[in-house]
Amino acid sequence: MVTFIFLAIVMIIGAIGVITFRQPVHAALSLVGTIIILAVIYVTLQAHFLAAVQVIVYAGAIMVLFLFVIMLLNVEGEGHGERFGWLRLAAYGTATVAIVALVVAAFMNPRPLPEAEVVDAALSGGGAAQIGEVLFERFVLAFQLVAVLLLTSIVGAVSLVQRKVEQADIAASHSQETGRD
Amino acid sequence: MVATEYFIALSAIIFVIGAVGVLTRRSAIMIFLSVELMLNAANLALVAFALQWAEAGMITALSGQTAVLIIMAIAAAEVAIGLAILVAIFRYRHSSEVDNLSEVRL
Repeated sequence: MVTFIFLAIVMIIGAIGVITFRQPVHAALSLVGTIIILAVIYVTLQAHFLAAVQVIVYAGAIMVLFLFVIMLLNVEGEGHGERFGWLRLAAYGTATVAIVALVVAAFMNPRPLPEAEVVDAALSGGGAAQIGEVLFERFVLAFQLVAVLLLTSIVGAVSLVQRKVEQADIAASHSQETGRD
Repeated sequence: MVATEYFIALSAIIFVIGAVGVLTRRSAIMIFLSVELMLNAANLALVAFALQWAEAGMITALSGQTAVLIIMAIAAAEVAIGLAILVAIFRYRHSSEVDNLSEVRL
């Protein structure tokens, strides 16, 4: 319980840092910290494989992509001047109400956890072998669809960022090549 | 062991913080970071549910963790596409503030 409270406090501070830091690089690094804390929480929840994947994929790959784009674009902090000051107030008010309501709702219907032996037998520490078994037994369709989605997003990302080459240049280079041949 | 309710409450708090970030920040990059926060909050809830459902057997209990794995792959795809759109927009407008893009029409 002490571990959980400590992790939860650090995680909430990190999350607030993500949305309050003005510099995008600071916010991204704060998100890296939040994600690593979440990986530790996964370990306490017996999801060891997911904890590893969280650090490798999220903190390693996704956040590096974020930092790469932030530094590539050289994004400055946001300018000042409120255009929607009332929206900010409304967001904070709604957030307070939502947090209180959701936390109360979470504790409204408490259920005892299953026995520790049952949990250990069912989850087996959340290892890669068990996850793979479930993935290929119950989630085969989702697995295939994610494969298609990843391929589509790679093609989409490449086609979005590539520069248009003028048709005349292509024709010219073609004629050069054929001329050389 | 810590009861599931605490993890659900933490997940709700992180999710709402992410939603506030989406509503209040104006830079598209910051909005993406907040969306990542919301995705991670949902993942935390799913992993906590996996623990609660241990009595239903291995396949059912681990479904939550497997769903998190799939969500991570989807998040990676979303980030790749989102950042590509951001780079494409930045090239034309030299700004990533979404307020400046309100006139964008397809």
